[in-house]
Amino acid sequence: MKTMEEVLKDWEAVIGLEVHCELTKLNTKMFCGCKLEFGAEPNTHTCPVCLGLPGALPVPNKAAIENIVLAGLATNCDIEKHTMFYRKGYMYPDMAKNFQTTQGPKAFCMRGWLDLNVDGKGASERPIMAQLEEGESAENVTRTAEGYTARVGITRIHMEEDAGKMIHMGGGEGRISGATHSLVDYNRAGTPLIELVTEPDLRTPEEARLFMQKLRQIFLALGISDCSMEEGSLRADGNISLRRRGTTQFGTKTELKNINSFKSLHDGLAYEICRQAEVLEEGGIIYQETRHWDPSAKRTIVMRVKETADDYRMFPDPDLAPYDLSDEFIEAVRAKLPELPDQKAARFVESFGLSGYDSRQLVENMATADFFEACMLDADAKLAKPLANLINNDIAALMNADQDFDLASSSLTPARAVALVDLVAKDAISSKQGKEVFAAILEEDKDPAAIVEERGMKQVSDTGAIEAVVDEVLAANPDKVEQYKGGKTGLIGFFVGQCMKAMKGQGNPKLINQMLSQKLEG
Amino acid sequence: MDFACMGVDAIQAGLRAGDFSATEVAQSSLDRIERIDGSVNAFLEVTPELALAKAAEVDKAIAEGTFDQMGPLAGVPVAFKDNMNQIGTHTTCASRMLENYVSPYTATCVQKVIDAGGLPLGKLNMDEFAFGSTTETSAFGTTKNPWGTDRVPGGSSGGSAAAVAAGLATVTLGSDTGGSIRQPASFCGVVGVKPTYGAVSRYGVVAFGSSLDQVGPFARNVRDAALTLNALCGRDPLDCTSQACDFDFTANLDQGVEGMKVGIVPAFLDAEGLDREVRNAVMGAADKLASLGAEIVEIELPNAQAAISAYYVLAPCEAFSNLSRFDSVRYGYCDPGHKDLGGQYEASRAQGFGVEARRRIMLGSYLLSSGVYDKYYYPAQQIRTLITQDYLNAYQKVDVILSPIAPSVAWKFGAVSDPTSMYLADMFTISINIAGNGGMNLPVGLGEDSGMPVGVQLIAPPFKDANMLRAAAALEREYQCVGVAPDFAGEAAVKGGE
Amino acid sequence: MTQHVSEKDVRAIAEYARIGLTDEELPAMTEDLNAIIESLKPITEYDLEGVEPTFHPVGDLSNVMREDVEGTSFTQEEALSNAPKQQDGSFLIPSILGGGEA
Repeated sequence: MKTMEEVLKDWEAVIGLEVHCELTKLNTKMFCGCKLEFGAEPNTHTCPVCLGLPGALPVPNKAAIENIVLAGLATNCDIEKHTMFYRKGYMYPDMAKNFQTTQGPKAFCMRGWLDLNVDGKGASERPIMAQLEEGESAENVTRTAEGYTARVGITRIHMEEDAGKMIHMGGGEGRISGATHSLVDYNRAGTPLIELVTEPDLRTPEEARLFMQKLRQIFLALGISDCSMEEGSLRADGNISLRRRGTTQFGTKTELKNINSFKSLHDGLAYEICRQAEVLEEGGIIYQETRHWDPSAKRTIVMRVKETADDYRMFPDPDLAPYDLSDEFIEAVRAKLPELPDQKAARFVESFGLSGYDSRQLVENMATADFFEACMLDADAKLAKPLANLINNDIAALMNADQDFDLASSSLTPARAVALVDLVAKDAISSKQGKEVFAAILEEDKDPAAIVEERGMKQVSDTGAIEAVVDEVLAANPDKVEQYKGGKTGLIGFFVGQCMKAMKGQGNPKLINQMLSQKLEG
Repeated sequence: MDFACMGVDAIQAGLRAGDFSATEVAQSSLDRIERIDGSVNAFLEVTPELALAKAAEVDKAIAEGTFDQMGPLAGVPVAFKDNMNQIGTHTTCASRMLENYVSPYTATCVQKVIDAGGLPLGKLNMDEFAFGSTTETSAFGTTKNPWGTDRVPGGSSGGSAAAVAAGLATVTLGSDTGGSIRQPASFCGVVGVKPTYGAVSRYGVVAFGSSLDQVGPFARNVRDAALTLNALCGRDPLDCTSQACDFDFTANLDQGVEGMKVGIVPAFLDAEGLDREVRNAVMGAADKLASLGAEIVEIELPNAQAAISAYYVLAPCEAFSNLSRFDSVRYGYCDPGHKDLGGQYEASRAQGFGVEARRRIMLGSYLLSSGVYDKYYYPAQQIRTLITQDYLNAYQKVDVILSPIAPSVAWKFGAVSDPTSMYLADMFTISINIAGNGGMNLPVGLGEDSGMPVGVQLIAPPFKDANMLRAAAALEREYQCVGVAPDFAGEAAVKGGE
Repeated sequence: MTQHVSEKDVRAIAEYARIGLTDEELPAMTEDLNAIIESLKPITEYDLEGVEPTFHPVGDLSNVMREDVEGTSFTQEEALSNAPKQQDGSFLIPSILGGGEA
């Protein structure tokens, strides 16, 4: 198989996402008063309604409807007047009524969009980017300094209910194929679920990954869900097809399901692009099938089709009233909108002079955004950029390495972060020493000043002392000086290293560098 | 004494006066069922413990002097159609599919009747899942019409109608989707009321046609039905389609019809297939109302004919969807010995459902399929708009409408068996369900040709059910109150009827 | 009589509705369904241009919702009280894909 980069020279990938998000922050289910609780004993949170007993009737959860309107407002959707619930019929054991109560052609939220910032390495997946100058636009993309922005349309967000959970027994690894029987638990049945469908505007796996990340950020900021892909409160299915670059006709799409991480989404789509290209280039046809990504085998596999019928016999649910949400209702929800990540990032740029790139990284996570703001309450304005770097590099690395690390309760307080960054900024210690202090704060739960004191760290920034060392080092290495002057400018690193060694690591590397350059050029 | 042959007022007067106790009422009613129901087969299940427990409660209240706070049906023997969930009973819907299903919860309408003091005697026979108009599709045997046990009682609430007609309960509850209260009421010579859609909660009543179903009472006189409506009506937070109601349905029963405008529909009265004796009964009722001071106004319901097609699209579609839940997993019949779920689904549903149920499910599945939906389902909902408008237009001119209920009186078993002609028999009742209006049967005596009970239908504007009760009460005073069917009343009751 | 649905169509409908239909039952069911569908013909002939559909008979029904407050739930025992087959507090079903145990 070709690489994705090669494939995308000739082929355009057309990707759409279907995202399901459980509204886990609510108390009760969508259509009944049963408690929402993850991990309870089976069938301990059920009632006639969510168990689908004969004679039971649904009554919608007002807070769930407020939540979906909130989600729609946060993603630039129109809140639709006059919508209804529909019945989507298919028989499957995790469906208590053997129909899902969902919505029809008009959902609560329609015609939204999100802008993605695609930076760095991931941006290179998109071929058009290479052809654009900064500020130039083409397709749905505008080139930026670090990459590009792309607008992704959201077709709709609709309200529905989740199904129960099944455990398959007797097959391998609890898989459904080969299972001899299954156990059904309806605790999850009836959980309020919102489904967001994007326009097929995504063109690269990285864009898809970033879209999910952004959506997750927003939903976490809204406080409507835990958004955990591991626990299944956030789920994504991808649709992907290829077409020859320059054509507009849609190709046949395959559906990618059972994705349990953003990385899997990316890798699964990347694989599909290559697989589909190989099939098409050999003259084959793509079948409209459902596939799942196998991360260990690193390929997609055709799934068994769960239910043969595409025709769900949908019709408006007669047991549920239609919805004509008033302006008062919608405005009351709008008043609950918190500052969204994009707005916060824009504010960081405005107030603290950070770059867009740095700000966006800070707001990726509420914990880091909050931490930054706490720092800036007392910090000098000029420390904004170094603080952002500390958070985006060192703290981010910590958080990635340890999923359980809780910044807010750690020994790295905003006051300590500010103090540390300040020490480095005024050259009291070197940035290398700063990293040592950072680690020490976490291990020893002490203030930076105390650590520096204890370890006798300081940075020698006395130009006289530095000059003396520089002269010594240059005198000791005349041949390398010759080579440097002959063009091997990379040797500066060698000289800096020798000086640092002579100064036992306490020399201010910036000044050493400066002094060396001066002496070598001169 | 056969208390179940007495009306609400008589029973309550006796209880208040200390002439007898609620426990005696309950026990006597239970004994009577045991003696007599063999010839009627109205009951699928009898609940002695529940009846006697409630009776004890009523007797305690009488002793403590709080009887009058108990509710409009205190001490009254009642029973419920077997599609209504009630804790402590089976709710079978007269189907093998639910033969062993024991209700873990109680329907709101049932709870309201019990909370109003009713003594619950048991569950009543019906057409399987309410699909039918003769109670012949019940998986547990047919119910006999107490006025002629070789004749159908009507359906689908045949058991509910027959129980009242045979004096086996004072008041019963039934459900009406296309006429299933009104038609059996007319066949069995009792009062049967289907209130406006939304007046009574449907929570706990096994759904057939969700936008058409409504629960209502059977009784032997209008006042008893009105008292039951007082207990039943009102907003239920568990049913989105239920509406608030703080009306006392007994308030205007004695008002008479002076000045009321009563509509009659010439197209109905001239309909082909309407038996002469039925037509005469309706015209007779119109004359009586006129003599009482009402004005008879001819009205048109131009789209009423379309109602039959619309109903036979909407009802099966909703039924198909509502019956999807019967899949052998959580409850209901489970065909044994299957190694795969698909096989278990198919066998359980094939064995559990009778042939009429299977037909309706298949029809509904077909009508909702893509491509077909636009041809039938969507137009049916458009026709609903037209029919609703027809009635609203009519109510600009009249306060209540008088019409036949069925083209004929109750026929003999086996006389009508082809599906499409059964459907035609719903002609006069169906459009009311489509529009969601209230309709009721008032028995007006026996047909001159058949000697079987004939009823007339009164139809009220939405949420003005009082209009039809008022007109019915006025008419009732003009006709001899028939009461319990002769073969089951008085001395004949001892023999257990024919 | 017009054949709206063939025996093959009826088989497919039965399969979708998950109702077992034997070969013996197929012709009668096909005939019955065709007769009923034929009787619905008037609906296809009405002039319904511009008529809005009415999906709910209670005219002004709208925005019915409840507060996000816990109600009463079944105990596990109550939930399973009518279960044809159960195991470990769950409803037990045979193999979904086939090849399982009864």
